[in-house]
Amino acid sequence: MRSHAYPGVVVTGTGVTLPGADRPEAVLAGRQDHAEPVDTARLLGRGGRYRGLRYKDRATQLAYCAADAALRDAGLLSDAGLTVPADTVGVVVSSNTGNLDTVVRVVDTLRTGTTDALSPMDLPKVSCNVVASSVAIKHGLRGPNLMICNGSTSGLDAVRWAATMLETGRLTRALVLGVEPDTEPARTLLDGAAPLDGAVALVVENEAAATARGARVRARVGGHARGAGLAACVAELSAMAAADPVAWHVPRGTVPEGVLPGVPRHDLTTAWGPCSGALGVLQCVAAVGAFATGATGAVYATAGDDERDATAGLVLTPSSGR
Amino acid sequence: MNWVVSGLGAVSAVGGDPDEMFAGLCAGRSGLRELHGIDRTPYRGRYAYQIHDHPDGRDVPGRATAFVADVIEQAATRAGLGTDLRDVPVLVGSGLRELRSAELHWRDKGSLGALSADDLHFGTALRDRFGATDTHTVANACAASVYALALAADMLATDQADSVIVAGVDVLNESMSGVMERVHPVAPDRLQPFDRNRAGVMMGEGAAAVVLSRDAAEPLCRVRAVEVGCDAHHDTAPHPDGFAEAMRAAHRSAGVTPADVDLVMLHGTGTLLNDEVEATATQAVFGADAGAPLMTAIKSMTGHTGGASGVMSLVSAVQSMTHGMVPPVVGLTEPVAEAAGFRIVTGAAARGPVAVAQVNALGFGGMNTVAVLEASTR
Repeated sequence: MRSHAYPGVVVTGTGVTLPGADRPEAVLAGRQDHAEPVDTARLLGRGGRYRGLRYKDRATQLAYCAADAALRDAGLLSDAGLTVPADTVGVVVSSNTGNLDTVVRVVDTLRTGTTDALSPMDLPKVSCNVVASSVAIKHGLRGPNLMICNGSTSGLDAVRWAATMLETGRLTRALVLGVEPDTEPARTLLDGAAPLDGAVALVVENEAAATARGARVRARVGGHARGAGLAACVAELSAMAAADPVAWHVPRGTVPEGVLPGVPRHDLTTAWGPCSGALGVLQCVAAVGAFATGATGAVYATAGDDERDATAGLVLTPSSGR
Repeated sequence: MNWVVSGLGAVSAVGGDPDEMFAGLCAGRSGLRELHGIDRTPYRGRYAYQIHDHPDGRDVPGRATAFVADVIEQAATRAGLGTDLRDVPVLVGSGLRELRSAELHWRDKGSLGALSADDLHFGTALRDRFGATDTHTVANACAASVYALALAADMLATDQADSVIVAGVDVLNESMSGVMERVHPVAPDRLQPFDRNRAGVMMGEGAAAVVLSRDAAEPLCRVRAVEVGCDAHHDTAPHPDGFAEAMRAAHRSAGVTPADVDLVMLHGTGTLLNDEVEATATQAVFGADAGAPLMTAIKSMTGHTGGASGVMSLVSAVQSMTHGMVPPVVGLTEPVAEAAGFRIVTGAAARGPVAVAQVNALGFGGMNTVAVLEASTR
């Protein structure tokens, strides 16, 4: 198990684009029975018609919505545009199934037709980084731009890489997005279960930079742990956090009873369905929601599949605590 | 930045390990062959730069995983890390991940069958083969492996590890090959970087890996800068200003000037746009020194190995430092005007000492990446 504590990495904004939920405080409750799918055209149109959506895949459209919300929430975007220099904002996106719909559509076309039957507009979408680059292009975000497609730990890994690049100074601030669309191939990958069909976002920022622009700090990213063994991961997170845990976001699947006795457990994959690459970011957003409603201790976020891959964990604390 | 490279691995259409590949590149041996393992009916193009390991000529799932595991083992073994990598982070840059496996499942069964959302990245296979648990698949298009190199450097800088394996891999898939052919006016029959008559990019298959360490007993070279940026300009088209900015940042960070650079490993995809933009940006940054460094583009023999191409070029550059030889660009007879003043190697391999090398990799979505290497003896 490897771990690393981050000095001065704070969360200054969130964006929630989920069926029936648009704020961090609503994440924990999960998807409500009557919740409608996210209407991206309505959200991005703001009354008018947003051109440019027509050729964007579902994942990118969802990411656009969460990106807008998070950048505005963090005070980085106003109606007049970015409030900070464009090269100080990076983008880190996590998704596993994001562009699969385009990929299989092309395969289906080539089953009976030639390459002449394909659309040139699909070129950016057959590349796995289409969400990360599209978000950067929409807002002119010229910082480092990372696309993480790393299985079920992917969302927490994305936050970890943002924190690492903040520590080295490669980044000043970054929009971290987790997105998984509900598409036909995504459903088959998830044994027929309905995927998240949503996007969530965090703005993570160098604390000094956040202070300098007067940003409100919503949470701190204390550190990460990654390796084999959920119990070992949680032990590393405990060693890094001065505050006692008040909530534990557990991975999908069975979790040993004896680990962290008495600490409330949350399984967001039960609340929202399979979240795949979005899970880790969703857990962090839920933590921000918990801090906003008064939680005073640490929140542990964990994801992964110990049998086949690894467990990743992050510890988040409220803005006032460490 | 001052990290060392202490092990190499590579497999491509030109060779199955770094030495075989470099010998082939220096001999001007192209990996171009008839298209294999893919139903040719939909395509105008008949050729690609593939690795010909298809059982009975049929494509099978998991080839990208097999290639990347192979080069990781090559690099780890040569660096003395062995094959138990439970304490060694492994970062893999791949433009297309295991999407080819998803395509095969979808095409053959009308569904994705036994595949799950956790089978599109490389972590599970690396856990199984090497016991590795700090593994990451970085999908930044054709700049993916240099992005992975930047993250590895940042892991060393933040004391998260003493050695990190950085790999890149991509194999042919139908969706990228198909749409790429759709946007070409005519199907190219070879990849001709920087030639006036180039018809476009052609896909290659390959994987490459390096071990990046804090220090090593016998370092192969030093990594002095890895700059990764995004110019946020266009979905697929590169931009000269964005790429020039990445180059200047890399030189600044490495503490070198254009006059110090002995070798430039050009991205050189053979597309009309890339080569023009890359040459224009290089001219703008190198100015009066644009004619000084040797330049080459190995995609003329390996094809475009996608997310692997950055580390593939890096492996070739390290070999150039070791052997004092630079492979030629095959098929370049009439350079584009933008590259007219460059010392691009053509014909036979060039001989000469290489102390400072620059590696370029660009990717869709405005990904601009540049690494600067320095010979360990310099």
